[in-house]
Amino acid sequence: MRAKLCSLLNGVTLIGLGVVLLDFYFTGRLNQYLHPQFRPWTLVGGIIFCLAGIIYAGAKATTECCIEGECVHRNSNSLLRSALAFFVLFVPLAAGVALSKDSYDQHAVLNRGFVEDMSSLPGRSGVPVQKPSSAPVIPPQALGADNDESASEPLPQDTPNEQSNPNTVAAADQANPNVPSPSEQGGEQYLPKAADGNVALEVTDLLYGESEESLRKMFTGKTVEVIGQYLPGSDANQFKLVRMFIVCCAADARPIAVPVQISGPTSATEMGWVKVIGKATYTKNGDRVHVILKADEVEPTDPPAEAMLY
Amino acid sequence: MHQRAIDEIFCCRSGRSVVVCRNDLRARVSWIGFERTVMSWFTFTWQNFLFSFLALAFEGLPFVLIGSLISGAIAAFVPSKIITGFLPKNGILATVVSGLLGLFFPICECGIVPVVRRLMDKGLPISCGVTFMLASPIVNPIVAFSTFAAFRAQAPWLNMGTRLALGYVVAVVAGLVVRGIDPASILRTGAVRVPSRKRLAFSVGPLPDAPGSGIGASFQEKLVAAIRMACDDFIDTAIYFMAGAAVAATFNTAVDQQIILPLALSPMLSTFSMMAFASILTLCSTSDAFIAATFVSFPIFARMAFMVFGPMFDLKLFFLYSVLFKKRFVIGLGVGLFVFIGIICSRVLIYLYAGQAL
Repeated sequence: MRAKLCSLLNGVTLIGLGVVLLDFYFTGRLNQYLHPQFRPWTLVGGIIFCLAGIIYAGAKATTECCIEGECVHRNSNSLLRSALAFFVLFVPLAAGVALSKDSYDQHAVLNRGFVEDMSSLPGRSGVPVQKPSSAPVIPPQALGADNDESASEPLPQDTPNEQSNPNTVAAADQANPNVPSPSEQGGEQYLPKAADGNVALEVTDLLYGESEESLRKMFTGKTVEVIGQYLPGSDANQFKLVRMFIVCCAADARPIAVPVQISGPTSATEMGWVKVIGKATYTKNGDRVHVILKADEVEPTDPPAEAMLY
Repeated sequence: MHQRAIDEIFCCRSGRSVVVCRNDLRARVSWIGFERTVMSWFTFTWQNFLFSFLALAFEGLPFVLIGSLISGAIAAFVPSKIITGFLPKNGILATVVSGLLGLFFPICECGIVPVVRRLMDKGLPISCGVTFMLASPIVNPIVAFSTFAAFRAQAPWLNMGTRLALGYVVAVVAGLVVRGIDPASILRTGAVRVPSRKRLAFSVGPLPDAPGSGIGASFQEKLVAAIRMACDDFIDTAIYFMAGAAVAATFNTAVDQQIILPLALSPMLSTFSMMAFASILTLCSTSDAFIAATFVSFPIFARMAFMVFGPMFDLKLFFLYSVLFKKRFVIGLGVGLFVFIGIICSRVLIYLYAGQAL
């Protein structure tokens, strides 16, 4: 009887784990927690947990769970241990379903510190449109990468029609050296546009511009639109526009931020999502270049489909 | 000579003079010190804890499950003699070869404990088990590739090769040290069967399959038994995993991590602090190189210590190893690895990396 109860409780624990994993996967909440590469494992894990739990609870319970006759498991026949497993494995995850806000507050952001050297971050591939990370839409020549050895990261793009033939301009440029290169033309045709015609950028794009002169030229003077989380500054005229960059899961998330200057008060809440429309200004301080976004408008907005950057 | 090597590593990457480079780092540290006066170093909130804890659980639990399934399959379908049949009969050689098993059976650190427990239960010597357990999360093709990718702009071949070689050497040395220790003082009571000194520490002979065991059972019976055993293995292991994830999530979110930046100024301090940081972050070995690559304030040998020590011993592994080994041994293993890897990285790797502009 005790063995049967233990089997049942362990089976319920495993099924519960599976249900929680599948719930996070199918509701899309998992997108806030894991890099896309890890998400399929959660789906597979959830399915196996459910199946294994059913088999475990339904299979005949014996006093010896190990096939060679000598069980090394401490939980198989201990009701206390099965209950402990239930409370340690299932209850916290179930609580997470109900209580987790699927994001960090400002304390976690400040505790982690902001990434200062953008070139040290691994290549990104998590923009909404699926594309191989090694196939940048803006040709390296357009960014002047062939002339600048420090250029390590292309501007990430998510405009489908621009993806169709990423090498066309580069090839044409190589074929006819007399034709001005895209970087000489300003590279404007490659910049993604928002619905209202502004240049739609990510926080990372502006920060890459600190080390990439060709990007600075492309961004300077244009009205840009950037989405991020609002982190109040030391006075009312400035704040930080924050995004979290993850490598595998939210536990390793590192904040990246652009300082924003505003002329008046804003209704944004701490770590709430805002859309900033304004102009990017790059200033040189010693041997480093810093970006400041001078905002014309700051308005609350919905979080993007992928709140994390990869 | 030693100081010159250190200065080269700290400063030639930026192309600036040693004085300018060090002053720049000190200025940043001073600024952070100023910030500290207005920020508490510990701010716990349930929102941050839950988010980080769940992320670790979602990332790690499927891999613990995979390790447990492999463990169950080994228990049900693989006779003991096969487990030890492929290893050399010589104990030292067997330990040396065990460090390379991860190349053929790549298992990350989350899933390795149930597999090793099962293998040792089937007769794998403890020394080989410890070597395999420590080496496999590093010496495997997935980690080799991810390290190469993470350091693609920072001498990728050198960093990948150094990481794998150092991980292998450290694991083999740990295994050889374990050969001289009485198994009864290492293994947790009941964690594996028959902790005989002769069988588990000095010989590679297989344990006999128990009479009337399931080896002669039908496939369906074996399959059900494998799943039950995998589930029991998972529950045993996952309880410790969750405890480790909870501690890691607290440190990850509540403790101000910029307080470690001043440690980057000294080779020894930077190396040991990066190892401590790795044990707190509890990252997956398949992707920790990407994190290590971002710590550009720290010298490359400190980041290498991060990548070698982390997959061998972090907070969750401390709890996971406790499934198999006695607490005293787990603590001793952690301290030994911490000191050994720290000394190699801060005293030896400096010369390897001198002038590499990393």
